[in-house]
Amino acid sequence: MGAIQPPTVNRGLFEGYDTGNFYDEMFAAPGQPRSQYTKLFQKLATMAAGQFEERRKLADLSFLIQGITFTVYSDGRGTERLFPFDLIPRILPHSEWERIDRGLSQRVMALNLFLQDVYGAQNIFKDQRIPRSLVYSCPHFRREMIGVEVPRGIHTHICGIDLVRDSKTGEFCVLEDNVRTPSGVSYVLENRIVMTRTFPDAFQACEVLPVNHYPAELSRILRSLSPRGEDDAQIVLLTPGIYNSAYFEHSFLAQQMGIELVEGRDLIVDGGIVYMKTIRGLKRVDVIYRRVDDEFLDPLTFRADSILGVPGLMGAYRAGSVALANAVGNGVADDKAIYAFVPEFIRYYLGEEPVLRSVDTYICARPDDLAYVLGHLPELVVKAVGESGGYGMLIGPASETKRIDEFRERIRANPRNYIAQPVIPLSRVPSYDATEGSVAGRHVDLRPYCLYDGEKVTIVPGGLTRVALQSGSLVVNSSQGGGSKDTWVLRGEE
Amino acid sequence: MLSRIAESLFWLARYIERAEGTARILDVNYHMLLEQSQQSYHLRWEPLIIMAGEEDRFRKLYDEVNAENVFEFLAFSQANPSSVVECISKARENARTIRDRISREMWEDINGLYHAVTRFVPQEEIAAGPHRFCDTIKFGAHRFHGVTDATMPHDEGWEFLRVGWSLERAEMTARLVDVQYHNLLDGPPAADALDNHQWMAVLRSVGAYEAYHREYHPPIEPEKVAEMLILHHQHPHSIRFSAAEVQGGLRAISGSGRGSYANEAERLAGRLVDRLSYDKIGEIFKQGLHGYLNDLVQMCGAIGDDIARTYFYYAVVA
Repeated sequence: MGAIQPPTVNRGLFEGYDTGNFYDEMFAAPGQPRSQYTKLFQKLATMAAGQFEERRKLADLSFLIQGITFTVYSDGRGTERLFPFDLIPRILPHSEWERIDRGLSQRVMALNLFLQDVYGAQNIFKDQRIPRSLVYSCPHFRREMIGVEVPRGIHTHICGIDLVRDSKTGEFCVLEDNVRTPSGVSYVLENRIVMTRTFPDAFQACEVLPVNHYPAELSRILRSLSPRGEDDAQIVLLTPGIYNSAYFEHSFLAQQMGIELVEGRDLIVDGGIVYMKTIRGLKRVDVIYRRVDDEFLDPLTFRADSILGVPGLMGAYRAGSVALANAVGNGVADDKAIYAFVPEFIRYYLGEEPVLRSVDTYICARPDDLAYVLGHLPELVVKAVGESGGYGMLIGPASETKRIDEFRERIRANPRNYIAQPVIPLSRVPSYDATEGSVAGRHVDLRPYCLYDGEKVTIVPGGLTRVALQSGSLVVNSSQGGGSKDTWVLRGEE
Repeated sequence: MLSRIAESLFWLARYIERAEGTARILDVNYHMLLEQSQQSYHLRWEPLIIMAGEEDRFRKLYDEVNAENVFEFLAFSQANPSSVVECISKARENARTIRDRISREMWEDINGLYHAVTRFVPQEEIAAGPHRFCDTIKFGAHRFHGVTDATMPHDEGWEFLRVGWSLERAEMTARLVDVQYHNLLDGPPAADALDNHQWMAVLRSVGAYEAYHREYHPPIEPEKVAEMLILHHQHPHSIRFSAAEVQGGLRAISGSGRGSYANEAERLAGRLVDRLSYDKIGEIFKQGLHGYLNDLVQMCGAIGDDIARTYFYYAVVA
């Protein structure tokens, strides 16, 4: 570091930018943008600092007025916050995206086949590719789903699969699967709208692939699930309500798809049919895109204290009078211990080799792994298997001894509940630090959104790039202070 | 349309109207009293609390009825569910639950108003007087009406908004007129100089001051003011006009024609409109204004209850 560059190139905002010991998505070396970033670099580098700051404020104001916020729970009241947005996009060259697209499609199909199998014939246990006990002990395994034939055999209609680029290899690998009710896609669409308003000139120059066909594609898939045929299909989006952190997204998607946004109290099950209460009486519902977790869906079947769900919904679902997306019981496929077996699923169900690498995973349910994990906690990342959103996680190298000891006890008490992985040095993207008024490298991940219609997987190019805006932080979840960036996949090669 | 959405639209409108009405009354009262003697100055704040129906709550929170306390209580207090800031928050909350059903412009407008209102620092506004605050609310509410009218399809959802704010306005006006007679026993009051100011303030608070002067000759007479605010068929703040709007909205929702009704709410709204169309102000004063207005408020309450029973919480027969 610290090599002095010839002063002939005007690097503006990026003057003095340090790529550090990480893979930098924008710069191959200090002052040398990667080919996919060349045009954007020229635009940004010639921009005055004040000009950039002005555009940033404009973007922020636009998010605030539109009320694009999420809710954090830790302060007891559920406060609305802006999801911080960073103006410097993450750019992927077309060839790299194609590989990601192939790898994710393969993965989504394998996960869907696994779910069909687990709740159906259970061949994978007979062929001993995964221990039955590991699957049945998942907190999100739903025995109520055994033998249920879901509409068109689709369990994983919508998946958000988290990818990270490992700085050591420069390669993308899968960090986790989210096949229950993944959220965030509205930010992909809104970020893009704000970016095109803020930097229209950059879009013209760079030829970025569009993302706005997502709601139409999702709507098409939901419609195809209707038990009464597509023409009369009444489709609704079931939300837990305005206090849910993803409420903005629920209303956004409902509006974009032109479907009714409902809460549990709007629905009623009578004679095995689901209805919604309208000012003109009851109206039959065919398809529910539900953003309520399994355990709150039906107080008669799952948690009796849930007021978010609809009594009798599971009965109607099992009888086939209403379709749910995603299917119930999907949590067994994105359990963090099951994650270690997904490459095996791909080989077993598809007869293919995985395109995307997975992260090495120690399953604490296995005695050997457990011993290793307990002995190496300060260098590992520990995750609770059924949690998501960055909750219930230990990052060894960044934690104090006291917290590490605390986790050691938790793991000992319930090994099945934990897995551990080596720390992945995530790649970085230059990001604007408003308090410093300068640009610095910040760690990012990537969550593409995959839609499965039973035959093929459609992925809008790019996805949500989440960025850990605090210096050095590896946690990108919005609930933990992360922000996001627009993600560009370029039309052709540079 | 989902019952819950209809209900949210109805309440969104009511809360906006309530916030606007409260802001108007606060503003006018404050500025009128600047020109009054100290003694009457204090007397004149009490009716505002009575009008809001919040006497008990107010007494629990404050020792004294004065401009600062009343302003704080009616404009900002989180302990008062009808304070302006609480109303705007609830209006926005309702809008948020149905933001997929209202236009983007409406959402951004009410969201912007909410952010503007919550940015006010109560102590600063109390010290500076209520004008700036009240203006923000008044113009905010007017703008919201305009944005709604211009960007939302005039479908049944729009009719629920119309019913919501008309019903709230009818009630607010009835309470306003009633409160002005609070200290006077039933029957026409004497029009001394003090009351003349008071009546000017009442007219200003509903934006009817100029209209009054076009309609009647000076001096301002309490009976004429009451006639204008209760029985005028064209002024948008009169009770009669608001009641006719409620009836019109309800008919548009159910599709029932003139001279018929589809539910109890419509029947009551029809009766209310008829009454206001044929009653004369002299008779009203003769039988007692307070009792008359009280009746109107009761009827508005009953209409609201029946709207809820008909459209929001109907019994589901399995």
